[in-house]
Amino acid sequence: MRCFELALLFCLLGAGAGGAQEPLTVVSWGGAYERAQRAAVFAPFTRATGIPVRVARYDGDRATLKRRAATEGWDVIDMLEPAAISACEAGLLRRLDYGAILDDPRAARADFAPARLRPCSLPQNVFATVMAYDDRAFPGVKPTEIADFFDVAQFPGKRAIRKSPDDILEWALLAEGVPPAQVYDLLSTDRGLRLALRKLDALRGHIVWWEGAGEAAEMLQDGRAVMASGYNGRFFAAQQEGAQLSIVWDGRLIGYDVWAIPASTGQPRAAERFLRFAARPEVMARLAERIPYGPARQSALERIGLMPGKGIPMRDHLPNAPQHGPRFLISDSLWHSHTSYLRQRRFHDWLQAGQDGKGG
Amino acid sequence: MAHPAYRAIILTLCALVVGALASLAAIGLTDAVLWLNDRLLIAPRARVQYEDSGSMVAMATVLVPAAGGLIVALILRYLSRARRPLGPPDVIEAVQFERPMPPLRDGVASTLAAMVSLGFGASVGQYGPMVYLGAMLGGTVRRLALAVPNLPAIAVACGVAAAISTAFNAPIAGLVFAHEVVLRHYSTQAFAPTTVAAATGYVFANVIFERPALFLLQFDGVRHGHEFVLFAVLGLLCAVLAILFMRLILRIASHAATSPIPALLRPMVAGLAVGITALWLPDVLGIGKEALRFATIEGAFGAGELAILVLAKLVLTALCIGFGFVGGVFSPALLIGILFGALFWTALDASALLATSGVAVYAICGMMALTSPVIGAPLTTILIVFELTRNYDITIAAMVAVVFSNLISHRFFGRSLFDVQMARRGADLSAGRERARLQALPVTGCLTRGMVLASTAEPIGAVRARLAASDWNEAYIRDDAGRFAGVLRAADAGGAADWDSALHQPALTFDDSTTVLEAMQALRGFVGDAIPVVERDSGRLIGVVSEAAVIEAYLDMSQTLRREENAVL
Repeated sequence: MRCFELALLFCLLGAGAGGAQEPLTVVSWGGAYERAQRAAVFAPFTRATGIPVRVARYDGDRATLKRRAATEGWDVIDMLEPAAISACEAGLLRRLDYGAILDDPRAARADFAPARLRPCSLPQNVFATVMAYDDRAFPGVKPTEIADFFDVAQFPGKRAIRKSPDDILEWALLAEGVPPAQVYDLLSTDRGLRLALRKLDALRGHIVWWEGAGEAAEMLQDGRAVMASGYNGRFFAAQQEGAQLSIVWDGRLIGYDVWAIPASTGQPRAAERFLRFAARPEVMARLAERIPYGPARQSALERIGLMPGKGIPMRDHLPNAPQHGPRFLISDSLWHSHTSYLRQRRFHDWLQAGQDGKGG
Repeated sequence: MAHPAYRAIILTLCALVVGALASLAAIGLTDAVLWLNDRLLIAPRARVQYEDSGSMVAMATVLVPAAGGLIVALILRYLSRARRPLGPPDVIEAVQFERPMPPLRDGVASTLAAMVSLGFGASVGQYGPMVYLGAMLGGTVRRLALAVPNLPAIAVACGVAAAISTAFNAPIAGLVFAHEVVLRHYSTQAFAPTTVAAATGYVFANVIFERPALFLLQFDGVRHGHEFVLFAVLGLLCAVLAILFMRLILRIASHAATSPIPALLRPMVAGLAVGITALWLPDVLGIGKEALRFATIEGAFGAGELAILVLAKLVLTALCIGFGFVGGVFSPALLIGILFGALFWTALDASALLATSGVAVYAICGMMALTSPVIGAPLTTILIVFELTRNYDITIAAMVAVVFSNLISHRFFGRSLFDVQMARRGADLSAGRERARLQALPVTGCLTRGMVLASTAEPIGAVRARLAASDWNEAYIRDDAGRFAGVLRAADAGGAADWDSALHQPALTFDDSTTVLEAMQALRGFVGDAIPVVERDSGRLIGVVSEAAVIEAYLDMSQTLRREENAVL
C-alpha cells in the first residue's frame, strides 16, 4: 500500500511542520484520482497551512456517509454533486459560508458557472462518464457512438457497467436517438424509464457490474469486459500505464465532483481553510495536470499545462475539450438527487426481473 | 409620397425593431410558461422529483389546471374589454381589412391569459399567442405617422414572422407563414422587411440566446418507393381527423355560449377535465413535448395507447379552447398529428404487409399533415419540417402528406380554422381578399351628392320644376317623418298631381348594411340615375348612390390591392 505509506508520510510531515496540529480527515475515492489529489491538493495544503491531512476512502453511498462520518471523524468529503445535494437536504452536511471560503463570492459565482455554488457543496472538478473499449477486441470496425454500446450483434462481448441507475439510463435514451437536451425530460416520465430499461434489456446476459471507480478500466485490461462505462480520468490513467483501450467521447455524461463538510466535523474552521485552499484556480489546475478532470472554475483552465514527468498537454484530455464532438449531456444533479429512490426502485426491479434465468 | 431612401430606412428600422421585440417577447413567453410548468408540477421533470412526496403530484394534476381556468376567466373578465381571447384570426382580419389591431390592453390581457393557460397545463398551444404577441407589437407602428404606404400591414407581418422564426428556430418558415397566412400576397415591399424581421428573430433565438433546434431527428431516408403512396394515404386520413378536430372546436365553442355553466367558471370546468384525465394520461397536460418525442421512437407507445391519446388530446383541446382557455391550436395539432402518424405506422407494421422506413417519418408526416389544414399553411408546414429536423428526406415525405391533406380539408372544410372562425364573424376570405374587402366596404361610403331631394310636404309642382332644372331623371322623396317614400320621375312630368299616385317605388333600394360587393351584383342590368340608400330600421333615406360611384369604389379597391401587391418600396 504505497498510497497508505504516502498518506502516513504526509501526516508525519504535517505534524512536524505544524507542531501539535490535529490532522484533517479528507475522504476521497482512492486510486489514480486520489494519487493526483495528494500531489496537487493535500500535500501543498499541508505545506501552506501546517495542517496534516489524513485520507479516508468511501464508496459514495449515503448510508456509508451516515454511518461512518461521525464515528471516524470525517472533516471534508469529496462527493458527486447529486449525492451532496441529497445529503445536504437530509442535514448530513454543513452549510457552507462562502464569505469565508472565497475572496469575492459574487465574482467567483460567475467564474464557477455553469457549475453552481450550492448550499453545502463547492464544485471542484468536472468529470465525464465515457465509454471505452478494449482495442484488442475490435481490430476491424470500432465502436464510435453510444448506440454501439447497446449493439451486441455488431460488437459482441461483455459490457462493464456501474451497478447503479445513474448513467446507464441516460445512455439508453441517447442510444434511442433522443437529443441530449431532452433526455431528462423524457426520463422523468414513466414511459421514458420503461423505454430506457427496455433498451437495457438488449444487454441482458452481457453485463458485468462494477462498483469501485477503478474497476471499469481493470475489467477491460484483464478481459472480463470488452466495453465499459467509466470515468474518463480512470481510463486515461490506465492508458498511461499501458492498457490498450480507447475512449469514445460521443454521448459523454458530464458531472461535477464537489467538496462538502459533514455536519459532524469537529474542526469546521480547518475544513473551511481546506476548501478555501482547494478552490484556488491554481490548485485546480495542478490537479487537472495529473488527472484529466477539468477544473470547475473557468479561470483555472488557462493555467493548465503539461502533465508533470510525462509532458502530455492535459487540456486535450479534459471532458470539455472541443475535439470530443458535439454530443454530450450535462448531468442534472438536482434531478439525480431527487429521483434517486425512484430510479433505484426501477433499477432493482429490472435486476430482479432478469434473475429468472437470463442473468444480469 | 416620401423619398424612396426614407421609405427604405423606415421599413428596415421597423423590421429590425419589431423583429427584435417580437423575438424577445416570444422568448419571454416561452420562458414564463416553462417556469410556471416547473413550479406548478406540470412539467414531468418537476413532477418526477416529487414522486415520493405522497399525493402532492396527484393534487397538483387535478387542481392546477382548474385554478388556471379560474384565473384566465378573471383576467378576461376584468382586464380585457373584448372579454375574449385574441389570436391569429384577429391578426389576419386587421391586415386583410386594413383595420387597426384590437386595443393594446386587450392584447396584453389575452397574452397574460395565454401565459396562465399554458403555464397551468391547459391543453392549448403556445404559437397562436406568440403570433398574436408579435402582431400586437407590430401593430403599434400604425400609431406613428411615418408616411410609408402599406406600413401597418407590413409591421404586423414582421412581428408575426419574427415570432414564428424565434418559436421554431425557423426563419424561413416564419417568413413564409407571414405571407401565407397573414399578408396573403407576395410583394417585394413586404417581402424584404419580413425577411429582415425573421432573420432578426433567428439571430435572437440562435445566436444571442442559443436556443437549440426543437426537433432534431436521425433519419436515413425513405427506403421504399411505395411508401410515398402510404404518405399520401396518411395525408388523406389526417385531413379527416383535422376536419373532425376543427368541427369539434367550433361545435364546443358554440355550445359553450348557450350552456348553463356561467362564463366565469367554464375554463375551470375544462381545466378540471384536463386534470382528471391527466391522472391516467399525464401526456395530455400542457404542450406535451415529451409525447412529441416519444412518438418518433419505435415501441414507446402501444397502438391502444396511441388511439386513446389521440382521442383524449383532440377532445380536451377542443374543450379547453371552446370553454375559454386562451391558446392556440397549432401545438395540439402537432401532437395529435404525430401520435396519429405513429398509430398509422404501428398498424402498418403490425399488418406486416409492406416494408417501411421506421416510425419517425410517418410520425412527422402525420404531424404536419394534421397541422397544415388547421392553420391553412402548407408551405409553412413543409418548411417547418425542413428547419426543425434539418432533414431533406423527411421534408419530401412530409410534403406529399401535407399536400393531400390540405387539398381534402380545403375542399370540405375551408382554408383553415382561422378563416372559418373569421367567416363566422363576418369576414369571409374564402373567395379572395379583393372580394372580402369589397364585402367589408359599406355602400354608404360612396354616396352621391347633388341629387334632387324633396319631401311630400312640398307642393309636387315645385318639386317637378326643380327636377326639370337639374340633370337628374328622378327626385328622391321623403315623407313627413323623413322616411323614404319613393321617387318622382322626370319622364312623367305631366302625370298625377297628388303625391300618392305620382310616386314610384324604385326598382332597387340599398340599406345601410349593403356592401359594395352586393351593390355591384345588384347593379347588373340596372338602368337609372342612382339607387336610394335607406336605413334599415327606421326607413329613413340616407342618400343615394350612383352606379358610377359603386364602380369607382370597386376600382379604387382593386387599385389599392394591386398597388400593395406590386409595391417595390
